[in-house]
Amino acid sequence: MDFAIFLVQLLNGLQYGLLLFLIASGLTLVFGVMGILNLAHGSMYMVGAYLAWYFTLHTDSFLLGALLSAVIALALGIVIEKTLICRLYKRNHLDQVLLTIGMIFVFNALQSLLWGNDSLGVDVPELLSGSIQLTELVAYPVYRLFVAVLCLVLAAGLYLLINRTRLGMLIRAGESNREMVECLGIDINRLYTIVFGAGVMLAALAGVISAPIASIVPGMGEHVLITCFVVVVIGGMGSIKGAFVAALMVGIVDTFASVLFPAVSSMVVYILMAVILLIKPQGLFSN
Amino acid sequence: MIFTNKTEQLFVWIFFPLALLLPLFLEQNVFYINKLTTVLIFAIFVMSLDYLVGRCGLITLGHSMFYGLGGYLFFMIAPEYEAVNFWVYTFYICVIAAVIALLVGVIVLRTSGIYMIMITLAIAQMCFYFFSDSIHFGGNDGLFILMKPDTSLFGLAFFDLDNPIHFYYFCLLSLFNCLAFWKLVLASRFGRIMDAVKNNPDRTTALGYNVFLFRLISYVMASALASYAGYLFALQYGYVNPSMMSWQTSGSALVMSILGGMGSIYGAILGTAVYSGLHYIFEHMTEHWLLPMGLMIIAMVMVFKSGIAGFIENWVERRK
Repeated sequence: MDFAIFLVQLLNGLQYGLLLFLIASGLTLVFGVMGILNLAHGSMYMVGAYLAWYFTLHTDSFLLGALLSAVIALALGIVIEKTLICRLYKRNHLDQVLLTIGMIFVFNALQSLLWGNDSLGVDVPELLSGSIQLTELVAYPVYRLFVAVLCLVLAAGLYLLINRTRLGMLIRAGESNREMVECLGIDINRLYTIVFGAGVMLAALAGVISAPIASIVPGMGEHVLITCFVVVVIGGMGSIKGAFVAALMVGIVDTFASVLFPAVSSMVVYILMAVILLIKPQGLFSN
Repeated sequence: MIFTNKTEQLFVWIFFPLALLLPLFLEQNVFYINKLTTVLIFAIFVMSLDYLVGRCGLITLGHSMFYGLGGYLFFMIAPEYEAVNFWVYTFYICVIAAVIALLVGVIVLRTSGIYMIMITLAIAQMCFYFFSDSIHFGGNDGLFILMKPDTSLFGLAFFDLDNPIHFYYFCLLSLFNCLAFWKLVLASRFGRIMDAVKNNPDRTTALGYNVFLFRLISYVMASALASYAGYLFALQYGYVNPSMMSWQTSGSALVMSILGGMGSIYGAILGTAVYSGLHYIFEHMTEHWLLPMGLMIIAMVMVFKSGIAGFIENWVERRK
């Protein structure tokens, strides 16, 4: 492997890892703050991708489509939390598993009802459709760089939100002691709605920005869900910092494994997770 | 009488006679007999998961690995062009699965809760990709059984594996035996210690019991029976494929078990029957059967707080 190819794979790995972080951060936030195990999180990624396709087709603008999709996803998250999830806080994890599996079924059905089962694609927006020449022979598409940068910006934003704002303080407080937060006169249910809505929006946003580089197919949500669970568990459930490190790790390991050992590439991520859990049974950054 | 609970007795007295009589009405219809047999086989699998999750508190999302292994193990150890003895190979498969479960159990039981869910999933996924990527085991398409085993015992052939009605009754008997087995386990001293382990592991440790060992034994038993179910499934249709090991198989088994009433053991049969029945009905109504199925699952979580078994038990209690 010469240096240019190595560089391209490294960039691919980083970009994939950052995208995984965007999805996994919502998952880990919802689990850490609300104690909800949301198996339908992958479906939100799928919904984001399909919405982006739909709106881009009808508005002729990827940016407008992306914004509309994000707003709709946020609304969807709030509605789901207000109607279904809010009834399950006092129930055990197994009921949450059952409910969210039911939601996966519904979203998959709606997807095939509304948009069919064909593989769809979104064109890369014109402004970002070029590529950068790394060496004489190897070029790297601008859009992938844009995805990586956007994810980094969002990650930084999330970091600032959680560590520097009042809302972030409440989120951290809710994570460590929810009764105490309620005793201090904070409406914890509203906090939960915000967190869940934000989690859904992050997943859908990941779906939106990956729409031009990934094919939009039925079942894309489940695959991403499992990978994100791997990320969240490696990082330590509920830890955003852990999710960030783990997502980059999984992204790079997965990308290099499919280049270096194509025969066993699908297993490598799971082997990584098993090894890490054997050394640190609670993940890398558990609280 | 091992069936101590009133509702459970009622269920056993209604379900098993009904299941015994059903083929009489369906004599001509092999399709339905086969469908029902599959439900019975899957109920054996779900029951083992129900014991593990509901009675031991060991939540696994990788149980399908053993279900799939039950089928694949047969290919690994049986000669391709020779009919082997059913009973001997049943024994072999259960023992090998138990040994694998012992090794896996030593690793996964180090963790607990959500981490155990994930590590069992990881190991099952590794196994899934191993079989679906391998050339020797037919990859994604799976493998066909060329010679079905011969079922004679001491020179007497009780039943024929190729006769759907024989096989139906054999699976029904297996299911009843499994139900009785789990009830016996739970009624024994071992079962009561297992209850203690589930409710308060620390206190049980303080009382001088080796919690890890009890969990390991439970894990091995449940995995061996899951493999037995997978083996029966492979024999029924004469093929195995990696989707038996997929996480969706584990997921749907978990749904059936929760639906039936986690930890009630007989609820596993109810859950499997109701889920499979609804699946069948919706699938025939619309190609988008996932929609009514998903809505039904959501509604059931909201209505039944402890599954169908819990719902019926409450109802029986109230009528007293």
